[in-house]
Amino acid sequence: MQAFLKGATIQSSRPQKDKVTAGPSAEKKAKAVPWVEKYRPKCVDEVAFQDEVVAVLKKSLEGADLPNLLFYGPPGTGKTSTILAAARELYGPELYRQRVLELNASDERGIQVIREKVKNFAQLTVAGMRPDGKPCPPFKIIILDEADSMTAPAQAALRRTMEKESRSTRFCLICNYISRIIEPLTSRCSKFRFKPLASQIQKERLLEICDKEKLKYTKESIAALVQLSEGDLRKAITFLQSAARLNADKEITDQAIIEIVGVVPSKMIDNLLQICFRGTFEKLEVAVRNMVNEGYAATQILSQLHDCILEKDITDKQKSAISEKMAVVGKCLADGADEYLQMLSLCSVIMQQAGQS
Amino acid sequence: MKKFSLGDKVNNWVDPSFSDTSAKSEDKQIWGFQSEERRSRKWKEDQNGSLWMMKSNERGPDEPWVDKYSPCSQGELAVHKKKTEEVEKWMRTHTKATKGGILILTGPSGSGKTATVQVLSTKLGVRVQEWTNPASAEPYLSSLSEWRSQGLSCSSQLAQFQEFLLRVNKYKCLKMKGERGAAEKKLILVEDFPNQFYRQPCSFHDTLRVFVRNSQCPLVFIVSGSRSGEGSLWSLFPKEIQEELHMSCISFNPVPATTMMKVLKNIVYMEAEKQSHKSLYVPEKAELEMLCSGSSGDIRSAINSLQFCCLLEKGLCTLRKPPAMSLKRAAALSKQKGKRAKSAKEQEEHQAIGGKDVSFFLFRALGKILHCKRGNGDCPNESKGASGLVLPFHLLQHHREVLLVQPELVVERSETSGEFFTLCLHQNYLDFFSDIEDVDRASEYLSDADLLTGNWMIRHIIGDYGSSVATRGLIHSNSCQLPVGFRPLHKPSWCLVNKKHQDNCVAAQSLFKSFCLTPVGLQTQLLPFLAKLSNPTRSQAQMAVIQDVGQMSLRTCSGRLKLENLRDKEMGQEIEEEEELHSRVEKGLQVTQSHLLTNQALLEEEEVVIEEYDSD
Amino acid sequence: MSLWLDKYRPTSLGKLDYHKEQATQLKNLVQCGDFPHLLVYGPSGAGKKTRIMCLLKELYGPGVEKLRIEHQTIVAPSKKKIEINIIASNYHLEVNPSDAGNQDRVVIQELIKTVAQSQQIQSSTQREFKVVLLTEVDRLTKDAQHALRRTMEKYMTTCRLILCSTSTSKVIGPIQSRCLAVRVPLPSTEEVCSVLTSVCKKEGLLLPPELAKQISEKSGRNLRRALLMCEACRVQQYPFSADQDVPEPDWEVYLRETANAIVSQQSPQRLLEVRARLYELLTHCIPPDIIIKGLVEELLNNCDGQLKTEVAHLAAYYEHRLQLGSKAIYHLEAFIAKFMAMYKKFMEDGLDAMMF
Repeated sequence: MQAFLKGATIQSSRPQKDKVTAGPSAEKKAKAVPWVEKYRPKCVDEVAFQDEVVAVLKKSLEGADLPNLLFYGPPGTGKTSTILAAARELYGPELYRQRVLELNASDERGIQVIREKVKNFAQLTVAGMRPDGKPCPPFKIIILDEADSMTAPAQAALRRTMEKESRSTRFCLICNYISRIIEPLTSRCSKFRFKPLASQIQKERLLEICDKEKLKYTKESIAALVQLSEGDLRKAITFLQSAARLNADKEITDQAIIEIVGVVPSKMIDNLLQICFRGTFEKLEVAVRNMVNEGYAATQILSQLHDCILEKDITDKQKSAISEKMAVVGKCLADGADEYLQMLSLCSVIMQQAGQS
Repeated sequence: MKKFSLGDKVNNWVDPSFSDTSAKSEDKQIWGFQSEERRSRKWKEDQNGSLWMMKSNERGPDEPWVDKYSPCSQGELAVHKKKTEEVEKWMRTHTKATKGGILILTGPSGSGKTATVQVLSTKLGVRVQEWTNPASAEPYLSSLSEWRSQGLSCSSQLAQFQEFLLRVNKYKCLKMKGERGAAEKKLILVEDFPNQFYRQPCSFHDTLRVFVRNSQCPLVFIVSGSRSGEGSLWSLFPKEIQEELHMSCISFNPVPATTMMKVLKNIVYMEAEKQSHKSLYVPEKAELEMLCSGSSGDIRSAINSLQFCCLLEKGLCTLRKPPAMSLKRAAALSKQKGKRAKSAKEQEEHQAIGGKDVSFFLFRALGKILHCKRGNGDCPNESKGASGLVLPFHLLQHHREVLLVQPELVVERSETSGEFFTLCLHQNYLDFFSDIEDVDRASEYLSDADLLTGNWMIRHIIGDYGSSVATRGLIHSNSCQLPVGFRPLHKPSWCLVNKKHQDNCVAAQSLFKSFCLTPVGLQTQLLPFLAKLSNPTRSQAQMAVIQDVGQMSLRTCSGRLKLENLRDKEMGQEIEEEEELHSRVEKGLQVTQSHLLTNQALLEEEEVVIEEYDSD
Repeated sequence: MSLWLDKYRPTSLGKLDYHKEQATQLKNLVQCGDFPHLLVYGPSGAGKKTRIMCLLKELYGPGVEKLRIEHQTIVAPSKKKIEINIIASNYHLEVNPSDAGNQDRVVIQELIKTVAQSQQIQSSTQREFKVVLLTEVDRLTKDAQHALRRTMEKYMTTCRLILCSTSTSKVIGPIQSRCLAVRVPLPSTEEVCSVLTSVCKKEGLLLPPELAKQISEKSGRNLRRALLMCEACRVQQYPFSADQDVPEPDWEVYLRETANAIVSQQSPQRLLEVRARLYELLTHCIPPDIIIKGLVEELLNNCDGQLKTEVAHLAAYYEHRLQLGSKAIYHLEAFIAKFMAMYKKFMEDGLDAMMF
């Protein structure tokens, strides 16, 4: 995304690079853009699936006023893309840099920066006319990406600026959890919730990209992609790109996808659960040891076990005991405890509970 | 005792025509240092020409009694005879010899060190030159030139001290009129150390070395043994320096209660005789006893308290809790139960004035916790256990008798950090347990206590709770208390072990960098195997590390790590904070940095060479 | 004379002995010209570093193998000087930021900034980016990981990161999403055997297959350990015999004897002796969590049934506390004391049961 936001700079440097060398290196440079950037929607119409937002933005594109916006929702659902696309459409590429200020969580966003940078930018007045004659709204846009990681004091410093400069500046806050934005800010903005994308939509997009990039794929792999990315389109596209890189001209199978995502193959999880339910402790030790030796992250194993256990045919009491142990193990893993011991402890609880039935 | 008409403390430069005695104040630094008048004493010349001190009656009623009644002869010192004889012997030998020696007197404050030196030096006819830190602060840089122009000295304390030592050695005292006696024999006394020396002991050691080479008169250091004093003793006079410069060290004990009682009584009688205050309150014996016990061996503080006590109204000199119990009844009760079984309430009675916190030596503090004494369940109202409730049936195994010690108080008075105290407990608790189940519970409490202090951000708040958990947990877990008698207590080995662990790890990492392994891999895999292989091309340092770390002797009998006994009088010390184990304190970096620096020499050779990616 | 470990390390992707499909994938990655950030993870001794070096060679050619050790001093904003050791070639840097302790954030920011800002000479054969290899990423503080994420974004064009860690649990999500994750599992026992046999063949030694199997099992599929063990076997006795005793590291034997001591007698005195042994292990640089894991394994072999689950719970509980607390000995001892109490009760109950 940074590449896109600094899209101007890359584009300016790219012609330079092309001048210097020719041939294969130029090709390499052309491919250097992540697909997430390459296939970002360029206009508001292309934004998938978020209807209300698109409607409001379209209205403003036609001349109505734009409120202060607050986009929230799970990652990878198109929040940043939407506002960027809208800004591009509003201002055109030339005015874009003048009229839009983006501050990401990666940048410094303490109170000091809010007071200086944002304030200074907000106080500039802008004309209502584009250089090429087309009308453009007489306000600027400040995009605060990942606003929930701003500290509360920084957020508080922001609200006054928001009010004061409302004539010439519109704010767009983007976050994952609206609860982390302070109340005064949320009341000054119109909130738009971005829903997780439906699998159909994701599939369509992915197939589009595959066609454009001329990739070989199977239906299962696309299905696996959609399932494993859990409604996050950015993740899905990144995985697709990685798969393409690793399997240069081969077909992308669902195995490859699973490997890239880092998910434990369900066969292994089933095997482990099988031993928990029916096996002995020694076999359990061996199985857990094997799983850790394979290098899978314990947190990943934990979440997959969790999903499996919920589906299993055991009594509620057993499920609740196991879930409690899982929560404790999750906390211990977050504290940095050893994975093998925690997994062993968890599986022995499952074994105990299963043995009681 | 002759009475003087003049109560002046000033030097008489001219012989008074009227009396054959002169008032003379003791020499202090004569060489232009600012002198603080300490206790000025009046000297009286005897027919024999020896000087002895007399008590002055011309002093005002507000003179501190500490000064008024300071000892003037060896018999009046509140120090054990043998101790004074020891000091006297040293002084005799060293004032006679041409090469002066160095003597260190240590001991708790108020145990009579300075008084001993003064008394003995007058007895032997030796003049005492004492050093006091000059009170003038160093001038600001801007006024430096001003000062210089006015001719005032503005050198550092360190330089002044060195000058002092040099000059005292070289030059004889100016002969003041009226002084008689052995002006040649001198003794240098240093009680007040320049602050620089605490920070940089090495400069002090160098000064001492120079002094010893050139000295002609003995030098006496008095180090007061407060807790920080103890620490500074070892940093100022480490064992090596003591041996190198042949320093003798005499340690004074706190004044025993009996001697103190005698002295206090004497003073009270003398004051009562004078009857200069009508409102003098003569304290009772029990009150005197309380004064003695409350001052914990510090006679200066006892005399001060006595003075205040006597000047106040009756009854204000002790504070009682609960107020209902009068002193007589308390005394009666205490006689009844004997000295040991004092109930917790009475232990809290302490003097309102001048009562010192009884600071426990670590040994004693640990003993209180480990031997934890409980009531023996005789009194009927005590069968209800510590909280006065009867436990339900299923919890009866947790019933314990009343605790006779207050663990939190013990920890507080031991003047160590809770962490260090817990470490000491941990080192020694296993000797006091007989049952593994008890150990199981106790060790869990210790683990809990460590967990509480694991988060460095709240450690200063939680630290006390941690030690409370640890001590009470230990006491509670010890369900079958066997009377174990005397057990030696050891210092915690954890600090050493941890330090060694860190040092070895850093050494290993820096020496075997070329392998590009993670530290864990290096230590647990590479080094043990390197120890088994023949390695002809390894450097000295690498071989040393391989031997040290990679090989372990597999004796079937477990050797105990060398345990240091906790000495009787030892105070606690702070643990150096650990580094990465709790991982958010800055020390870690400093350790690695210092080791990187020390290993610099070893690494220099590798720096410039462009190496192949091999293990050579 | 270098160790077999280093002498026979494969130097290019084509020469890797196992995980060959992954090797081809990595090759494709290099050739596609769009090299992303990498996160290579897997248990210790699986060959992560080997693969990374092969990858670098593929990227930059043999110049990567000329390494030198540099010391750099980095000045933190608080004016503190941090000394850090870097292993570098002309094309890449390798650094372990956790060496700096709590200042690892500064190390990462400064180092990568310096690397990224030094422009590569544009030439058609060379890449336009340098590679920075960060090892032990899972030991980085959270601060450092967030700083890493920012730096990754900022300097994407001139600098690629290869992160190496044992497991991804401790790597934060944003970093994982910005990297291509490459999982390197441990080789199977057969693969270890075949590697051992081929190495011995190159050395001109004859390795009986039973011994190879024994070594690979004892090493727990850790190839580094297996090679070291094999070399130690050779020192011990050559020609090899099939039932030769495979040498283990001293500390493991010591740990096993400690476990036996725990199981044989349960009393406070025995605990005191065990404590001394633990101190001995600690002074020999064995980290406390390795001690507890080793103990658990040995103890599990000595108990059965119900006791095993309890032991597993205890071990997990106290190992977790070890990470949270500051003095490991408390928790190690508490674990052993609890085990002793439990074992004693178990034995006594068993005896009672036998009486009837």
